[in-house]
Amino acid sequence: MEEKELTERESLAVITEMISRTKERYIGDGNIMLLWGYLTVAVSVLVWVLINATGNLNWNLCWLLIPLIGGIVAPIMSRKHKVKCGVKSYSDRVTSQIWLGVGIYAIVAMLFNLGFGILAHIPTGAVMLIFALAIVPFAEVAQGIIVKEKSLIIGGAVGLLIGIVTLCCIVGDVALRVNWYMPLFIVAFVCMMIVPGHIINYKSRQLR
Amino acid sequence: MKELDPLLHSQLRLAVMSILMNVDEADFVYLKEKTESTAGNLSVQLDKLVNAGYITADKGFVGKKTRTVCRITEQGRKAFEEYVEALKGYLGL
Repeated sequence: MEEKELTERESLAVITEMISRTKERYIGDGNIMLLWGYLTVAVSVLVWVLINATGNLNWNLCWLLIPLIGGIVAPIMSRKHKVKCGVKSYSDRVTSQIWLGVGIYAIVAMLFNLGFGILAHIPTGAVMLIFALAIVPFAEVAQGIIVKEKSLIIGGAVGLLIGIVTLCCIVGDVALRVNWYMPLFIVAFVCMMIVPGHIINYKSRQLR
Repeated sequence: MKELDPLLHSQLRLAVMSILMNVDEADFVYLKEKTESTAGNLSVQLDKLVNAGYITADKGFVGKKTRTVCRITEQGRKAFEEYVEALKGYLGL
């Protein structure tokens, strides 16, 4: 394409052609979902095995590995992906702001959780379960609706359902025993992050 | 009939504006690829659009490489809409 004068019809053709070239539907980066999904599942298995083997509930501190590792790696991956894409659509902006909100909420919830635990010796770890199985899947469903990706909507819905079970157990004083709750938690993250992450990556490869 | 904006009535500048109307932001490499233009020519046309206040071009660094990110301004959006309206008039649409 060069710098040249156009007729009115040529102008219209240029506008139509450029709209067509930029209309590729971008559904997100599956790798960031895979990072959070595999990281959460790996840490869950680790905590499950360690608590089962030793009976020591202090191994729950291993959950902090998720925000520590994910919080460092995810922004780096996100930045690399942005540069690789070269373009940001309006839906990208909306979804990235939703996840930014989720991230800020996670940090605040974690600080409160630690504050209650360290200062008042009140165990409030269940707050993070509500975050993981209510706020995260809700954001995922919202992203799925915005980018029109069913796997995100279905994965998020599964997470929300398991979140309701979790909430009912907490309110009803039903103990969340590792032997039945951990597998359920892992299933939630496989459905919420790992399956949609692979589907999104597959669809992105097909678009190229 | 309203005159067509001479700044937009050029193939490459119109192509850049059409892309930027459709996305939130796009970098130089993306614009070059989509418009199939040369780096030198694109750079000159982007400067003209920046000087007219139609777009912004923010230069940053990714590692050691520079990365220029372009966004349309409100003024540019308005000019583009007026251009399309004028075009419709000329084409009797």
